[in-house]
Amino acid sequence: MSEEVLEVVGLRKKYGQLEAVQGIDFRVRSGEVFALIGPNGAGKTTTLRVVATILRASAGVVHIAGIDVAREPDRAREIISYLPEEAGAYKNMSGEKYLRFVADLFYSEAKTRDAALARGREIAGLDERLDDKSGSYSKGMTRKLLLARTLMTEPKLAILDEPTSGLDVLNALEVRDIVKQYAAAGAAVLLSSHNMLEIEYLSDRVALIHEGRIVEAGTPAELKEKHGAVTLEDVFREVAS
Amino acid sequence: MRRFMVLLRKELRELMTPQMLVPFAIAILMFALLGSIISGEEKKAQGRQDIGLVDMDGSATSLALPDALDQAGFHVVDLGEIDTASVTEELRKRDLAIGLYVPVGFEQQLESGELADVQTYAVVRSFSLTALSQTDTLKGVLSAVGGSVSDQVIADAIPGSDPETLKRPLAFTEHVAVGSLEAAVPLDAVYGLIQQQTLFIPVILFIVIIFAAQMIATTIASEKENKTLETLLASPIGRGSLIMAKMVAAGLVALASAAAYMAGLSYYFQGLTGGEMFDSGGVDVSTALGLRLAATDWILLGVALFLAILIALAMAVILGAFADSVKAVQSLLTPLIILTLIPYFLSMLIDIESASPLLRAIVFAIPFSNAFTAAPNLFLGNQTRVLLGAGYQLLWLIALVYVAARIFSSDRILTMKLDFRRKKRARVA
Repeated sequence: MSEEVLEVVGLRKKYGQLEAVQGIDFRVRSGEVFALIGPNGAGKTTTLRVVATILRASAGVVHIAGIDVAREPDRAREIISYLPEEAGAYKNMSGEKYLRFVADLFYSEAKTRDAALARGREIAGLDERLDDKSGSYSKGMTRKLLLARTLMTEPKLAILDEPTSGLDVLNALEVRDIVKQYAAAGAAVLLSSHNMLEIEYLSDRVALIHEGRIVEAGTPAELKEKHGAVTLEDVFREVAS
Repeated sequence: MRRFMVLLRKELRELMTPQMLVPFAIAILMFALLGSIISGEEKKAQGRQDIGLVDMDGSATSLALPDALDQAGFHVVDLGEIDTASVTEELRKRDLAIGLYVPVGFEQQLESGELADVQTYAVVRSFSLTALSQTDTLKGVLSAVGGSVSDQVIADAIPGSDPETLKRPLAFTEHVAVGSLEAAVPLDAVYGLIQQQTLFIPVILFIVIIFAAQMIATTIASEKENKTLETLLASPIGRGSLIMAKMVAAGLVALASAAAYMAGLSYYFQGLTGGEMFDSGGVDVSTALGLRLAATDWILLGVALFLAILIALAMAVILGAFADSVKAVQSLLTPLIILTLIPYFLSMLIDIESASPLLRAIVFAIPFSNAFTAAPNLFLGNQTRVLLGAGYQLLWLIALVYVAARIFSSDRILTMKLDFRRKKRARVA
């Protein structure tokens, strides 16, 4: 039986006069991949950042496994992991040292730390290149390292902003498989993407954000049926227009 | 604490890069090398100097000059009997820097009570600092020749008299008061002692403040530039630990660099001054005037310096949060550098206590001033002033750390930035 991991109720976020998110609600359960789709500036990344405890909500509540992120952000950070769209690694640090740094941050016991590190190495799949400084990595290698950093700690909620952004086809396929397997193992995944094929392949449920509001939500099949569309792209085009 | 240590190790690793260590090591080696070269040159200059002498008079008085010069520590090279037009050429040929020409009629002029003619020649080969010792050599030659001749003139005029007493009939005893103590010591020696004790403090403090501020602001800016800040902010680390780890790492590296710079500078200045900065005439000036720092003074001095470094780090955290790239850091740190430069130069150049009320108010409002003036104030027995200054520094530090923590705990760390390029473009448009 899956449990509710993320609950977002009435979320609003203002930047000065601009209200980027105008009261949105959604829930994500364990083992589920929930995707936010929408045009640029719709409020996807802002929503993800609020859930990731980086930004404070102007109104509304966000609970992760029952923890209010506004009141107890430090506790929430113990059980989440966030992969921003434009993320990087420390250029003077090797991939191995970077993963070790993350493992050291999360775990005090050597056994669990080593197990996390082993998971990280496996997800990154960089073999001997892990010993090279991350400054020498290609974009695809860096992205896989960061995905490994995100999932190696087995968070209850993985927050992935454009996880395959800038990757070539093969690397993107590999990353999608990793995310799918991770959710299948029982974790909750909240992601945003512009790639509708990726969304269809990965997501159990989708919410379409437009101008800071959720205008449609459901499974990809439900949405396609409702709008009489062949692909999610057609749904997106119709709703956005 | 464990997570703080993990973060601290990461920060230290990020700071101790070859790009940072190599120029730093080169700078220290340069100081040491310069000190060694200057020290060698000084020793050479302090050795027995060769002086060219042309004696055209050949009188008893002129023939006594080589002995007088020898006693004064010079080695006389006889250039033979040549005319004045050839002296410089002869000096060049023999690689001599100073020459003395005693013309015909020298003794006769003395006997008739006239001023006796003596010409000196100096060949300048460079304008370097060590070459300046040539002027001291010339002064030494003139003093030796003048002293010898005047002694002989006085002895001839007043037989049985002591020429030294006649030349310097007054015996001065200098008295200096510092605070409540007074002692019969040379004034030069007091200033020399204080300068020797406090010379390095402002230099090192300035280096540490600027270096530490640049490091911490750069690490924050590079977290933004390299897009590592967001993942770090979403990691299970308290914002306070995040700031403290950055501050401690920058502070440790800055202190290590200060120690190394201090060693290099110390060697450099030793070379420059030959290790002696004053002549106290055999008197222990520090004991006579109580110019020694007690243990509590050292603690106060340490507190003032440490608070100044922490204030600089906290300011740099705030300024670094505005930077969206490492390049922007330099411009953003300008206010901090100016705030450091004002007390740094003013404390060295003027007596801030006797400055105008407005200038004093400006200087004392700067939170770094207490650190720059603490050492001389403690030597003068103004412990209360240093203590009050430390209290003022503490207030600054609390306020700055509060602001820095607020920035890191809020959206501002991601959203606020000063982009000079964009503003410039906007103005152009």
